[in-house]
Amino acid sequence: MSAAQQVAENAPVIGNPIPVGAEVYNRIVGFLYQEATLLDTIRLKEWGATLAPDLVYTVPLRQTRPMSQQAQSVIRTVQHYHDNYRSIMGRIMRLTETRSAWAEDPPSRTRRMVSNVQVFATDRPDEFAVVSYLLLTRSRFDFPDMDVISGERNDLLRVDGEGFKLVRREVILDQAVLGTPNLAIFL
Amino acid sequence: MLTKASYTLADGTPLSDLVRVPTREVQMRALSDPEIYQLEMDRVFGKTWLLLGHESEVPNSGDFVVRDMGSDSVIVARAKDGNIHVSLNVCPHRGMRISTVDAGNTQIHKCIYHGWAFKPSGEFIGAPVEKECMHGKMMPKEDLGLPQARVTLYGGIIFATWDLEGPSFEEFLGDAKWYFDTLFERSDKGLEVLGPPQRFIVRANWKAAGEQSAADGYHTLTLHRWLGEVGNYSKSGDGGSADLSPEMYGVEVSSPHGHALRCIDLGRKIKKLSGLDPAELTVDQKLEALPPPGMTREMLPQLRKHLSEEQLEVMVSMPPQVGGIFPNVLFAFVYIPQADGSVLGLTLLHAYVPKGPDQLEFVNWVLAEKDAPQELKDRMLMQSIQLFGTSGMVEQDDSDTWPHMTLAAKGARGRRSTLKYQAVYETGAPAGWPGPGIVNEGFTKDDTQWHWWLYWNELMNAKA
Repeated sequence: MSAAQQVAENAPVIGNPIPVGAEVYNRIVGFLYQEATLLDTIRLKEWGATLAPDLVYTVPLRQTRPMSQQAQSVIRTVQHYHDNYRSIMGRIMRLTETRSAWAEDPPSRTRRMVSNVQVFATDRPDEFAVVSYLLLTRSRFDFPDMDVISGERNDLLRVDGEGFKLVRREVILDQAVLGTPNLAIFL
Repeated sequence: MLTKASYTLADGTPLSDLVRVPTREVQMRALSDPEIYQLEMDRVFGKTWLLLGHESEVPNSGDFVVRDMGSDSVIVARAKDGNIHVSLNVCPHRGMRISTVDAGNTQIHKCIYHGWAFKPSGEFIGAPVEKECMHGKMMPKEDLGLPQARVTLYGGIIFATWDLEGPSFEEFLGDAKWYFDTLFERSDKGLEVLGPPQRFIVRANWKAAGEQSAADGYHTLTLHRWLGEVGNYSKSGDGGSADLSPEMYGVEVSSPHGHALRCIDLGRKIKKLSGLDPAELTVDQKLEALPPPGMTREMLPQLRKHLSEEQLEVMVSMPPQVGGIFPNVLFAFVYIPQADGSVLGLTLLHAYVPKGPDQLEFVNWVLAEKDAPQELKDRMLMQSIQLFGTSGMVEQDDSDTWPHMTLAAKGARGRRSTLKYQAVYETGAPAGWPGPGIVNEGFTKDDTQWHWWLYWNELMNAKA
């Protein structure tokens, strides 16, 4: 496990915060809400259209570590997701173009609550770093248990006409042992 | 042979009735009954060798990881003498869990409750306020260490057992070792982990995953049908057909100890890669056309230093690709077709740790040859994550299936239904097959999983 792998892949240089309520802030929040709608209503191909071709999509492992070793609580060697545009589109194809993606057929009922949104300028004028909290509830079949997935999204959004494209997403989950049987859903 | 002990479950059912040998059936209550689960913790998980990790996870003196042996937490630590010790993670003083983290490095494991301290070897160092002798005078310090499991390293993989006097790991593997050596003991430097394991909870009995690991090839056809629809097999073989069944012929090896190996025919892949009839090719030519998963062509000369000619023959014709080590380990040494026509090998190990009668923890280690170039390790890592484990497009379907079996096994009627293993091989080993064990050729059948249950049955009914 090299030191380089402790740093997120393709991490942007974070600049000044964009104030809450600023025009671009509002548009970014709108993008995140719309994205949550697309994922929760399983409009996966439309979601795929919001991804940039140079996408990096990762979900590190977490480990329980002492207070003094918190940097080591995020594991970026083996991860839960380690994807790029091509592999995410492959996942979407499996979910939408086969009749045997059983892990999501019948599909989970999900809610992606996105909050605590902070937007930052980056070293590129058309890209914004976005930090948000994600609380995702997942219900399957007639199971009474609701799986809860919570974490922090670290996104990079690129201006694309009137909207944005997702260039990078790293989701820092809160569980060291995930309480859901798989990540057949996108975070 | 172990003699049968008569144990009767609370409802009057003899324990030995769960596995019906003449008709190859297993009562489904075995997948949900808390009483059976409690017995398993002693009779199965207290007796067999269990996978805990790989020594590359704890390379330095003082390194440790916290893992599970059945329902017990253990500390897996490298001591100053370089040996790996497995200690019960329970303070002998008041029963507090000693290590509450997942991993780290320390020469002193100190219980946060009253401060009793232990070496990585589990030896008791002392208790605070030495002059008051707070550990008492009734027991010598030597008796206050952490209980030690018996440890073995096999290809660097850490196995441990609480059965201090039982069979060695080598005896436990038995004939299956000949095949497992082709995976784990084939190279000079051996395997390493590419990081800590993925861990997630599946609300299913551990045996739903365990029996599948005993080489259930058949489920691939239906449960993993997508592989032939849009996945890695969609354009191979029969011109984009979704029929995966041609990929399911080969040889299956069973073991009286429940280990199982699915040795899948490589002929079609080698033919595609080399353009030549595999029957015309030598062992070396076949290795050159398609090196074993995770190995490069440059590494091939290492194979002959560690393996026999007969083992190499199996490796180039019908290598073990998936299977299990009893009770709860799956290995996958698979050859994954790539979009550009090449093949990428992946090497993974899973443990399905029991967490109650209806819950298991899926632990997934991604491995690579230490000697392999970084570029290959990176590609293996990404593709392993995309196909296996938490978000793996193959295994996400498995983890969604086992909970339904477990729930079904709770029904008043369902628990009396049976799992059936009645697709019986009638073939035996192919002519000239050089390997030992219980060997059958052809389309994947139920024998390996049936032998898995027979060993479970033997352990469950063995006299204590």
